[in-house]
Amino acid sequence: MIRHFVPASLEEALRIINKNNCYIMSGGTDLMVQKHVSTGLLPNFDRSVLYVMGLKELDYIKNESDGSVSIGATTRFVDIEKSELVPEIYKKVIREIASPNIRNMATMTGNIANASPAGDSIVPLVLNDAYVVLSSLNGERKVPVKDFVLGVRKTDRKNEEIITKIVLLPQNLKYFYRKVGSRKAESITKVSFLGAYRIENNIIKDFRVAFGSVSIKVVRNLEVENKYKNIKASELNIDEVIKDYSPLVTPITDQRSNKEYRHKVAMNLLRKFLEEIKGGQNE
Amino acid sequence: MLPKYNTSVKKVDNEEKMSGMAIFTGDIRMDDALFAIPVRSTISYGKILKINVPGLPKGYYFVSAKDIVKENVCNIIASDWPVFADKETHYKGETIGLIVGPDKKIAIDLATMVHAEYEEYEPVYEMKNSYVHKEFNKGNPGLFKNATKVFSESFETGYQEQIYLEPQGMLMWLEDKKIVIKASMQCPFYIKNAVVRTLGCKPEKVRVIQPAVGGAFGGKEHYPSLMAAQLATAIVKIKKPIKMIFDRKEDITFTTKRHPSKTEISAYMDKNDNIIGVKIHVGIDGGAYVGCSMVVLARALIACTNTYTFDNVAVTGDAYCTNKVPSAAFRGFGSPQSIYAMEMFINHLADFLHVKPLELRNKYLVKTGDITSTNGIFRDKIILKELMDKAMEMSDYKRKLEEYSKPGSYRGIGMSTFLHGCGFTGSGESTIINAQLRIKKDKNGIVTFYTSQVDFGQGNKTTLKRIVVDTLGIPEDHVIYDAPDTDETLSTGPTAASRTIIIVGGLAAKAAQHLKEIWKDGEEQEIVEPYVGPSYIKWDDDTMQGDAYPGYAWGVNIVEVSVDPITYEVTIEHCWSTYDVGHAIDERILIGQADGGLAQALGWAYLEKEVMENGVFKQKTLSDYVIPTMVDLPQMETAIIDNPFPYGAFGAKGAGELTFAGGAPAFCLAVEQAINRKIHKIPATPEYIMELIENGD
Repeated sequence: MIRHFVPASLEEALRIINKNNCYIMSGGTDLMVQKHVSTGLLPNFDRSVLYVMGLKELDYIKNESDGSVSIGATTRFVDIEKSELVPEIYKKVIREIASPNIRNMATMTGNIANASPAGDSIVPLVLNDAYVVLSSLNGERKVPVKDFVLGVRKTDRKNEEIITKIVLLPQNLKYFYRKVGSRKAESITKVSFLGAYRIENNIIKDFRVAFGSVSIKVVRNLEVENKYKNIKASELNIDEVIKDYSPLVTPITDQRSNKEYRHKVAMNLLRKFLEEIKGGQNE
Repeated sequence: MLPKYNTSVKKVDNEEKMSGMAIFTGDIRMDDALFAIPVRSTISYGKILKINVPGLPKGYYFVSAKDIVKENVCNIIASDWPVFADKETHYKGETIGLIVGPDKKIAIDLATMVHAEYEEYEPVYEMKNSYVHKEFNKGNPGLFKNATKVFSESFETGYQEQIYLEPQGMLMWLEDKKIVIKASMQCPFYIKNAVVRTLGCKPEKVRVIQPAVGGAFGGKEHYPSLMAAQLATAIVKIKKPIKMIFDRKEDITFTTKRHPSKTEISAYMDKNDNIIGVKIHVGIDGGAYVGCSMVVLARALIACTNTYTFDNVAVTGDAYCTNKVPSAAFRGFGSPQSIYAMEMFINHLADFLHVKPLELRNKYLVKTGDITSTNGIFRDKIILKELMDKAMEMSDYKRKLEEYSKPGSYRGIGMSTFLHGCGFTGSGESTIINAQLRIKKDKNGIVTFYTSQVDFGQGNKTTLKRIVVDTLGIPEDHVIYDAPDTDETLSTGPTAASRTIIIVGGLAAKAAQHLKEIWKDGEEQEIVEPYVGPSYIKWDDDTMQGDAYPGYAWGVNIVEVSVDPITYEVTIEHCWSTYDVGHAIDERILIGQADGGLAQALGWAYLEKEVMENGVFKQKTLSDYVIPTMVDLPQMETAIIDNPFPYGAFGAKGAGELTFAGGAPAFCLAVEQAINRKIHKIPATPEYIMELIENGD
């Protein structure tokens, strides 16, 4: 039987989900669309639903003693976008997600849990080594976002777990972000690019690259990144970097774009980013 | 006397629309109404061998071709579209029946359990089988063989979905032994006639009433006739109120769209590079049934030389039968497709001949008294040159054109000129439509007039009323003008073809004028005013010869863009437009058409991609079929130059479709300059622009 649970506390929610295989709904901006049947009819849920949006104890953004920032699972994009505690790069990404009315409802946790290849907020989370905390009656576990998203609509969440928070780790990086959608607002991403670097005394100390919407999950490769760390920025071989990333970017053709475009634009954006790193040398 | 030019009044339906009080079809509560859910064919082309219907619970019905009362024909001009697919199905999604019942969820589930057995035939998706062919010549195409140079190109345009705010919907019930219909519609009498035809009943047995309608753009010109014929068949069987309201996805997937097109043009030049003549073929994809495609094709062909006069012209055109959702009316009705091709062509031809495009345009630009492509005459004063000069001045066109031609600027500016023939083709207004407008006055001097014109947002409820108020010179609250009810109004024709103001407005002004002349205080008076067209309009539909339209409206669009060389995305920086619509009755309403028409045209030009694969549209939702948002659109500046038309109300001509005609070519010409490549198809998506930049044109 399909049941609808509205827990009063996280503890109650954990007890419910321990016994019931549930969809977990927070903002509902993905689930309600996915389960839509027809105007005037209830959505068609094939499993029970646990409604967590009312859990105040999960609606927060706070600094932790180790310098990280934790974001409770039911915190909506609109609040993250406004928070002084959240690094600017996340806000930049959020401002281009959907529309203001969607961002008033949707949560970043939901964006991760929905595990769409076009989930925009997953890109900076992966690039910045953020992790999620999953809770169950048996305790908590931390999973880097990079490992949490397994594929299209597939995550590492176990049936009895709830994502309770996202933890952002502070970074000292310069960012380069571009979302390419089908139009300038309210668009689903065709390809997105986020690059980051830190240069000290002309040496590239940190170098990171992430691509969104060009594979079943966000593309980030530590091996390639490490190759270009601790070299002189002026000696960065742009063509070589592009050659390294080119085979890792494996987009598809669908109703929104084609693989040739997605690949080409991904490489163009990477080139632009690399030119910025090199160009920064002359400043 | 003309009302003060460019004055604007508050739209009469502003408050009910802005406050959300307006009642649309889907808002109408009728608690005993049953839901009708279409059962659709699952193959593109084949014989229907058998329809297996599951056991239906009490109160649920399956309605199909077997239930047809008189004729299994939907009355859409060509009469080839059946109400329900019977022996064969010709496109995926064609209605083979309806499940009707009280619980929508159960009805939907039952509809999925109906299984038809088919013998499949090989479907045709390409434009190769013509079902309507037309051709006509002007001058002597035999002279083409004297040409020393020939330049040929072809252009393609894609599907476009109307995306009216309110999807299709209809509610039908029985009252006083009549079938009463409320629906989202454009043409109350089209719906009425469709029901009368399929049932074979008397016209007085069908009553159509217009509720608030949220947009149409041509999409509600013919499709509601099909829904009405289906529901009428059901209501005769079931005798209970029935409603059928489409969700957005269903609307996008199964209702009619703009015809995709392919236009081939050749220009023949003599040794001095004068154009001897042009040869044009326009092909449009009509889908599974002709419906109104022959008229769309006719309009596309008549408009194909656009704003240019060539002495010798050979025009041919075909509407092609494909196993796809039928294409039908959409703002412009075929002419934007051929105008797009001609505007691009004339610019490309200028490059071929090494002359400036503006120079070539001006050389062949239409002037008053010129012979049209169908050997009619452009009789009324043409002020196209003034429109161009004004638009160029507003946009600083010449300086920008020069500046952006520097390589690597990634900016561009493009200009289009265009026309729109207002009203029905040829003498159709007097021979087919025969509009009659009823106006009456009560003892207290309160005047009521009736039309079958639907206000679906464009503002004619305000404008038509204003024409009568201004003509009579009485206070606004002394004139009553309600939404059409076919029991009250005579037919003043469909709300289509940019005919509402030029034809019905003119008729309303005339009726009001006659009432004014015979006005007697304290008496009830009534007049039925018939439409009488200009006597000089002579048209032969078979040979496509003569004066194609009662009048023409004119316009110029200039679009400025920048292109991102990294992502190939286009930003529309600014748009400028100038129009000759005769005389603007209400400038603000006209600006609404100008901004909206151009926005819709720009969407068609670069964003709105609707691709059919194996008979199914790949884009089914508003997140995949994207139309421009406010953020995508720039500042639009519009100037209107007064040029009163003798036969329109207060000199007004049509404006609704005109504003769609020039956006796509102006946009594409601007992008061409920015990327230094030639464009031959729309939508010009970033994917296509990348291909052009990478591979050349």
